[in-house]
Amino acid sequence: MSLRDSEFTASAPAASAGAPADSGPSGSGDVGDESTRSGSAAAVPFASRSSLPSAVPSIEFEGVSFTYPDGTRALENVELRIEPGELVAVVGQNGSGKSTLARHLNGLLRPTTGRMLMDGLDIRRIHVATLAERVGLAFQNPDRQLFAGHVSAEVAFGPRNLGLRGTALDERVAAALEAVGLGAEADSNPYDLGYSRRKLLALASVLAMRTPILALDEPTTGQDARGAARVRAVVAAAGEEGRTVIAVSHDMRFVAECFRRVVVMRAGRVILDGTPEAAFGEASWGELRAAYLEPPFAAVAGAQLGLGATPTAASFVAALGAEQRARR
Amino acid sequence: MSLASAAPSTGLPEFVTRRPGGFYRSTNPSTKLAIAALEVVAAFAVPGWFGPLLVLGAVLATAAAARRLRGLAVIALAASPIVGSILLINIFLLPGASDPIARLGPLAPTWSGLWFGLQTVLRLFAFSTAIALVYLTTAIDDLLADLARRGLGRRAVFVVGAAVQMVPRTIERAAEIVDAQRARGMDTEGRFWRRARGVVPLAAPVVFGALTEVEERTMALEARAFSAPGRQTLLRTPEDGALDRILRWAAVAALAAVVGLRIAGRLG
Repeated sequence: MSLRDSEFTASAPAASAGAPADSGPSGSGDVGDESTRSGSAAAVPFASRSSLPSAVPSIEFEGVSFTYPDGTRALENVELRIEPGELVAVVGQNGSGKSTLARHLNGLLRPTTGRMLMDGLDIRRIHVATLAERVGLAFQNPDRQLFAGHVSAEVAFGPRNLGLRGTALDERVAAALEAVGLGAEADSNPYDLGYSRRKLLALASVLAMRTPILALDEPTTGQDARGAARVRAVVAAAGEEGRTVIAVSHDMRFVAECFRRVVVMRAGRVILDGTPEAAFGEASWGELRAAYLEPPFAAVAGAQLGLGATPTAASFVAALGAEQRARR
Repeated sequence: MSLASAAPSTGLPEFVTRRPGGFYRSTNPSTKLAIAALEVVAAFAVPGWFGPLLVLGAVLATAAAARRLRGLAVIALAASPIVGSILLINIFLLPGASDPIARLGPLAPTWSGLWFGLQTVLRLFAFSTAIALVYLTTAIDDLLADLARRGLGRRAVFVVGAAVQMVPRTIERAAEIVDAQRARGMDTEGRFWRRARGVVPLAAPVVFGALTEVEERTMALEARAFSAPGRQTLLRTPEDGALDRILRWAAVAALAAVVGLRIAGRLG
């Protein structure tokens, strides 16, 4: 089934989709608070659209291939289904197609062949601005998006585009800044912040849109331990709220600790898809090596000590403790 | 020798051993610059239709043989708004023109305005396509290496390189910035005023990004002894065969002849 943008944005009776009009993912009131919007048909919140059955949609790549205009084939027949609320990490070597995959989520790139489905609906004719209500994509380089004179104005840009105004907008901005630890910087100039904080600001500007799907491109790159912890907390909170989080990353520790599913890509294809235990387990090291990836240290140490699959430090310590108790 | 065989035999990386191939693309960059200079001067110095038509014909034939016609067409298309406005201004507002084609209320397009406008447009196309052909058939690295080999100072080489690379880099950066803003709901696919409003979130990252990049590149160059005294060695030197030299000196001689004849008033 294919859907045009006009159909996608058409008015629909509130709550006819089986979800309250003001409920976001997990009913938090996040996605499209209709009362705060400017009131056009295009501004009807996604959650209330009758054609879309759930607040957090499923995503499906159906035989998706993508070739850039210069002939570079970035995706090759990708088959991938992501259920609502899943926490998925996409890993792979540089040039494996991870970022290209992420840019398909909100329509910035359209499949050369194959289909991108959201809750079973083909999104090929839906504008990016419309899809932005559902998919928030934080880019890898913050300097490619920051433009406002104040941090708060920067964060307000996205929700304002979605039609939010007044107190609701202010609350969104404040909450997003608090989430990334920039609450005290609301009046600062974005370009006065260091790189890692600019990156957190870019993340906040996407968080403020409170989209049911959050896509993050290399969110921990350039972050110190505190910044990385903030990003982990953001992912965990989004997961608890029932949102789908899809992150492209080279940070295997972050991937193992924060995500419940790992998709490994190589040369535009999905070569591995499973839990962190499976993806980083000894049996998968061949595929990881083929994708120029190293499993997390905890996974390697666990395998070498015969503890089984221990992708995270916590699982390693638990397995080691169990092993020692069993020996006693 | 093919690249595939060159790299292993020399043990050097591809960007050092790479040689441009194909008609005109393999011509020495300085030779192409000299030819372009001749074409630019001829397009403006030779009066009437002959100069610009000859130059445009030569450029188009060369571009076709070098398989760069499509790139040239894109550049010509990009220049079309300016070209169109020049044509319209001349048709309707050429001073002293008194041979109207028709009367359109207070406006009176003139034949002499039309011919003068077409000639001007032709010169502009000849000028811009001659420059564009050098750009479309020359790797910037090759051009800079060749200029450095001929004694152009490293600062001048850097300035030339930065200037030439500025446009494609800015376009690339702007495209990514537009994507980032669209991902935050900025509507670039809707009505005109919505698109126009999108210029603000685009301009600041483009300008700040460009400034930051220049600063970072400058520091990176200094960190690699850019200002060190003495002559730099070159990793690679573009080929400069006998045919290249003949073409280059012929172009320089022709350029001098055109300028001389123009000054002497022998070109009509």
